[in-house]
Parts: sequence; C-alpha cells; structure tokens
Amino acid sequence: MEQSELIRKITAAFLTGDRWMLYLKGLGITMQVAVMAAVLGVIIGTVAAFMKISVRKNGKKTILAHIANIYIDIIRGTPSVLQVMIMYFAILASSKNGVLIAGLSFGINSGAYVAEIIRAGILAVDKGQTEAGRSLGLSNFQTMCSIVIPQAFKNVLPPLVNEFIVLLKETAIVGYVGLSDLTRVANQIASKTYDFFTPMIGAAVIYFVIIKILTKLLDRLERRMRRSDNR
Amino acid sequence: MIIVKELYKQFEENQVLRGVNYHIHPGEKIVVIGPSGSGKSTFLRCLNLLETPTGGEIWFDGQKINDPKVNIDEVRRHMGMVFQHFNLFNNLTIMNNITLAPVKLKLMTEEEAKENALKLLRRVGLEEKADAYPSSLSGGQKQRIAIVRSLAMNPKVMLFDEPTSALDPEMVGEVLEVMKELADSGMTMVVVTHEMGFAREVGTKVLFMDEGNIMEENTPAEFFSHPKSPRLQEFLSKVL
Ligand SMILES: Nc1ncnc2c1ncn2[C@@H]1O[C@H](COP(=O)(O)OP(=O)(O)OP(=O)(O)O)[C@@H](O)[C@H]1O
Ligand SMILES: [Mg+2]
Repeated sequence: MEQSELIRKITAAFLTGDRWMLYLKGLGITMQVAVMAAVLGVIIGTVAAFMKISVRKNGKKTILAHIANIYIDIIRGTPSVLQVMIMYFAILASSKNGVLIAGLSFGINSGAYVAEIIRAGILAVDKGQTEAGRSLGLSNFQTMCSIVIPQAFKNVLPPLVNEFIVLLKETAIVGYVGLSDLTRVANQIASKTYDFFTPMIGAAVIYFVIIKILTKLLDRLERRMRRSDNR
Repeated sequence: MIIVKELYKQFEENQVLRGVNYHIHPGEKIVVIGPSGSGKSTFLRCLNLLETPTGGEIWFDGQKINDPKVNIDEVRRHMGMVFQHFNLFNNLTIMNNITLAPVKLKLMTEEEAKENALKLLRRVGLEEKADAYPSSLSGGQKQRIAIVRSLAMNPKVMLFDEPTSALDPEMVGEVLEVMKELADSGMTMVVVTHEMGFAREVGTKVLFMDEGNIMEENTPAEFFSHPKSPRLQEFLSKVL
C-alpha cells in the first residue's frame, strides 16, 4: 500500500501527461536566464572592476571609480527579487520577453559581485609584478595586459564559477515575474496534483545534479591551477 | 648622469627623505648603506620614479624627469632595476621574461630579442633555463635572471635594492659575482646593500643614509677606515 502510493505520486508528478517535459522546459528557462546573466555579469563586472580600480595621476579615485562604487553598493544592498520585479513591473514593463528581462536583471545584479571578484583577483597579484613591468619601461596598460591580468585570471576563475552556481540557484525567484522556470514548474505541478513533496524533491534533485557537476568541474579547475602554479 | 636636487619624499605624515642632494656620474658604482627605515629604498625608487617625489628634482641625462610632461616610460627604459624579491613575471617563461619589454616596446624583433636573451643567459650560466618558469628556479637563479632581464633593455644605469637580502647565504655569492662582472663592464650602478665586502670591493663611492638624508659619502677605503660621524661609526661597529 505504501509502495503503490509512492508509485502513484511519482507517476502523477513526473509521468502523467508527459510532465517530465515541463521540468525540462523549466530547466531550459532557468539555464537561459542564468547563462545570459552570467555573460552579461562578466562583461559588466569586468568594466566595473576596472572603473573601480582606476586612479587619477594624483592618486585619488576617478569619477568612474565612484560610479562603480555606487552601482556595486546599490546592487549589494537590495534583494535580487526586488531588482527583478522593479525591472519587470517598472523599468521594462512594456516588454513581454520575461527571459530577457530576468537575464538582464540578474546580469546587472551579478555584475556587482563579479566586479568585486575581478577587483580582488587583480589586487591579489603581487605589487612587485607591476613594479617590475613599469621599471622596464612598459606602460601601465602593457603591464596590465601582459603580466597582471593573466595572473589575475587564475585567481578569478574559481570564484567566477562559484558565482555562476549562486546565480543558477538565485534564478529560482523568476517565478515572481511569471517565468516558468524549474522551480515554478514544480510548484505548478504540485498544485495540480495536491502533492507538494514529490515535484519539489524532483526539482531539487535536478538543481543539485547540475550544481554538483559544476562543482566537480570547479574542483578540477582549481587543482589544475594549483599544479600550473608550481611549474 | 643622475642629479638629485633637494629631494623630499613624504608618505602621509611620515617625512622619509629630507632634502637629498647627490650627483651620480657615468661609470660610478654608488653603494648605499644605512639602518633599516632610513630611506634607502625610497631614495632608489625615486630615481626611476617608482615613488613620486614630494619635493625637489631628479635629472637624468640632462632632462628633469619628475615633471608631468615627461614620458616616464621612455625614461625608465634606460634605467634597469633589480628588486629584493626578484619580481620575475610568474606567468612567463624565463625567455619571455627577458624578451617581453624589448619586443613590446618595439626595440627589437622577436628573433633579435631571443638571440640577445640567450647571449645574456649564457653570460650568467643559465641558458638551459630559458623555457623554465620562475617558480622552478632557486632564489639565486631568479635574481641572476632578473639582472639579465634588466640588461636586455641596454640600460645606462642599473639600480639594485638589496639584491641579495632575500637569498639563502649560499646563493649570495653567485649574484654578487654577476654584479661584479657588470661593474667591471663599466655599467653605472646604484646599489643598496648590506654586503660590506661588495661595497669595499666594487664601490667607487659609499653613501651612508640616515634619517632621510645622506649623512656621509666617501671612497670605500676612507669610508670604512675613517668614518667621520658618530652615527656611522656606531652603524659600522654593528655590521662589521
Ligand atoms: N609605500 C609606503 N607607504 C608608506 N610608508 C612607506 C612606504 N614605503 C616606505 N615607507 C616608510 O618610509 C620609511 C623608509 O622606508 P625605506 O623602505 O626607504 O627604508 P630602507 O632604508 O630601505 O629600509 P630597509 O633597510 O628596511 O629596506 C619607513 O619608515 C617606511 O615605513
Ligand atoms: Mg629597503
């Protein structure tokens, strides 16, 4: 009896009316938003990071640095659900493309965190590297491109993958703006079948597996970097 | 070749250099010694403007270089610098460490730079390390490469900031040897060091820095046998 009940629930949650396809579609939406946001986040974050570390000749911060600071402050100081909703219901209310709006919104959000990651990665490169480059007559730009950024890249890659993992989970709130992402799909199926447990567990397992794969990749990446450090 | 006039350098409230005057002539080997915190590194780093003076003038080859209008990158090509912690580029092979600047600055083609690098590496006995990365080298090897990297730019003067202080004792000799050869080849050198033997043997002038100024200057023989100021006498009694 117990067993047949479980089978009934699983059937209702995943098989009836090919419901498993809904999960896949939901996962598709989740991934679209996350990947779009990640790409945008890296672009915005890189620009913001370089703005933030820019200094004037007299050693003071540039206006660009202040702008980057304000942007990072605002993003980090407000909940991402609100950011998405503000984008959807206020700023881009006329657009019907939910995925685009969510991707844009999360991209802007992620950019602030990526900026901090990249900035930290650049600052973590020993100052002596820059001094050596400059003392040879290389310009600040040449030193950055040939010496600092390649070394910062290694510092930055693992936390960037980590940021993507966080992002992937954070997108679970896009249901608030009407997107049928993986979490929302599970919720919808749950209210149809009156069984919340099974669809939710189903969705959780899917998130978990994908993130597990990413973490494994991250582990391998970090090990490779550590090895190439003591070449 | 380098003229320092009334050089002041201040870090926030901390007045580190207090009106240093000095004239370095071509071919001289100036050795700078002095207690920790006396401003030796700051003085040296002001010469190629790694530190920006807060007052005074630095002249190099007839040009006042601490002037916003001067292209400092151009000036620095002619002034090599060797650091206490080597600062080899960790992301590049030894060969690329040496050829990066000459090639990027379009002073040599890639082939010329490589050929020149091999010649220099042979001079310090490290040509088999050309394709290695810095992390696989010993400290002494790293410092010899760092010297070679600066030499690849054909500088007119070489600045050394405690080049042997971070080395295990058994590696100090190999680096000093390279520096001696460089001195013999006629290079103008400014060397901050604690190696009194080197100062005596290689220096044409020895400077004693204390409290942000040059307290005493003399030929090595006089400097060590007849120190004038009590501060220098006290300092020498501690280090010799
Ligand atoms: N970037 C900096 N910012 C603030 N203070 C500095 C900086 N660099 C040096 N100082 C200060 O300037 C003073 C002189 O430092 P400097 O490194 O020139 O001394 P030094 O004679 O080279 O000493 P050492 O033998 O220990 O290398 C010290 O009090 C130091 O704390
Ligand atoms: Mg010093």
